Amino acid sequence: MQERYAYYPGCLASLSQKELDSSTRAIAAKLDVELIDMPSVTCCGAGDIHEAKPDYHLHLSARILGQAERSGAEVLLTICNVCTLNLRQANSKLQNDPAELARVNDNLKATGIGGYNGGVDVRHLLWEVSQGEGYDRFKSVATRSLEGLKVAPFYGCQILRPAKMLGFEDPDRPQSLERLIEACGAEAIDYPAKIKCCGFPIVLAREQVALGELVQPLQQATEAGADVMVTPCPLCHLSLDAWQKKASDHAGADFKIPVLHLAQLLGAAAGLDEQTLKFRRHITRLDDSVKGKLRLPSVVGR
Amino acid sequence: MEDRSHLTTLKGAYDHKMMEVTLRVRRYAGEGARAHTETYTVDVPVTATLLDCLDEIKDKQDGTLAFRKSCRMAVCGSCGMRMDGGAVLACKTAMKPFVDAGHTVTVSPMGNLPVIKDLVVDMAPFWSKIRAIKPYLDTGGAKAPEKEWRVTPVQGHLVSKEALCILCGCCVSECISMESDPDFLGPAALAKAYRFVGDVRDGDTRARLKDLSGAHGIWDCTRCYFCNQRCPKGVDPRDAIAKLGAEAFREGLTRDEGARHAKVFVNSAHKGGFLRETELVPKTIGPVAAITQIPFALQLARAGKVPNPLAPHKAKDNAEVKRLWKLLESQAPKQKERANSGAPIDGTES
Repeated sequence: MQERYAYYPGCLASLSQKELDSSTRAIAAKLDVELIDMPSVTCCGAGDIHEAKPDYHLHLSARILGQAERSGAEVLLTICNVCTLNLRQANSKLQNDPAELARVNDNLKATGIGGYNGGVDVRHLLWEVSQGEGYDRFKSVATRSLEGLKVAPFYGCQILRPAKMLGFEDPDRPQSLERLIEACGAEAIDYPAKIKCCGFPIVLAREQVALGELVQPLQQATEAGADVMVTPCPLCHLSLDAWQKKASDHAGADFKIPVLHLAQLLGAAAGLDEQTLKFRRHITRLDDSVKGKLRLPSVVGR
Repeated sequence: MEDRSHLTTLKGAYDHKMMEVTLRVRRYAGEGARAHTETYTVDVPVTATLLDCLDEIKDKQDGTLAFRKSCRMAVCGSCGMRMDGGAVLACKTAMKPFVDAGHTVTVSPMGNLPVIKDLVVDMAPFWSKIRAIKPYLDTGGAKAPEKEWRVTPVQGHLVSKEALCILCGCCVSECISMESDPDFLGPAALAKAYRFVGDVRDGDTRARLKDLSGAHGIWDCTRCYFCNQRCPKGVDPRDAIAKLGAEAFREGLTRDEGARHAKVFVNSAHKGGFLRETELVPKTIGPVAAITQIPFALQLARAGKVPNPLAPHKAKDNAEVKRLWKLLESQAPKQKERANSGAPIDGTES
């Protein structure tokens, strides 16, 4: 774990998923790490710019990575699977192909933009706190045990695959979320669809196909008896949470499973309250039993 | 055994150290039968692959076990099957690491294709999708060169990964969009499609991309990257699908909802820096269809999940990005690169 990170919340945590941003900042403060803001960064392109205009994606990423580099941090911290993969894909190209890096820097220079020297690593919050010193630090602040809470981990795709771009853990048998769930004192529920897809990238363009994909994790997590799901990705969160009712209608089921951002789960175990974690911003509401199991101060103190 | 110690270069070739492998194999006798799992233990050399173990079972224990195989060297693409739920080529999967870890693997047929018997799937739907993308060169009416197409190494490299496909079906087995939409062309057919779209000798690019941009095509892909993860030959089908998307954009084929979705992201970057979420829905599915989403949008708005459309979030210094966008657009090739028919590439007469 680093002492300071160039913090890249991405679009969703800056706009519709602000509860993820506030939870992340609060847990970072608990862990005693500094998050450096980068006010002029753009969207990572969410895979869409990468697909439609690959060269634009490469340059936008270089601009973001360059800003991170100039902040003095060695690691750009992401809190979204899609940001993680997109920035790592570009970073891999820029770090391993000197001719491409030189071409991109020439273009950045020609448009008055600072360059990138290839000196930044892109890492997700999940990776930083689920092993090594970051894990130890989290263990020491996770003072409020969430004992009795059954949590279904949902990894999503772009933090596991393709492993050659991500490479943090075995993409078929990941354990990082389970390790953190247990560090919170909660119980991790196992189910096969935890490494599958939430359907979010095509939920607008191909809603029926996406809903068919989304049903699998919701159904399996529900059947396995989970109280809540937790995900390291705000796109998965939006899909699992906001599209849950539509997925219910699609499957002829009645899913009612709250979905937590990873930072919210960590925050609850670290003693943060609703004011910071903002569960009220979720579409699928947390009922009193789940709130009780999360032992939020507002409920416990009532 | 006779003394072969003088054959130093072949040292190890006669080393018959053995290991015991236990496999759980999904058995299914065919239509009307119930699938069940059987457990087999075989004694095989430590170098054995999954296919070697299956051969050993079939030869010595149970001749009724059905599976496809041929080349035994990851070239023919016959022995695709699932091991512990993930598609692999049986002949390319060494068993020693699993034995060492004390893990008993489960072998089952590939996904997304109907099972005929045991580990044998019906590849007919797979082949019909390959045929659907016209898997052969179409010069688009260009006169064939007198001697040969001259393709530079750089031009050839454009499709070198996609040309590695051995049509084994491992990517299709794991495709999540195909689980949800069985008519989705899928990773193998789309990677094959790029193999021709990106081929500098092919002249049917625009028509191909038009076909691929419709329903069940490029924009059905949910970017789960299972295909890249499972492909035993490094084809990276998801990357090929992204290349098709980029080619469709270059050709201006952006009418599909998926392409319109991507366009909003492209434009958001230099029109403020961040995604304009409130524009995403109407611009992707059209203003009329967007009206049907209003109740859903209001539900999101009540939870504070709809950013203010009148005061969109703006990143600092976004003029930089606008300049960058203009520069890159001026550099981007407007037309597909084509092969030079017959002209020498090295400056000498052929």
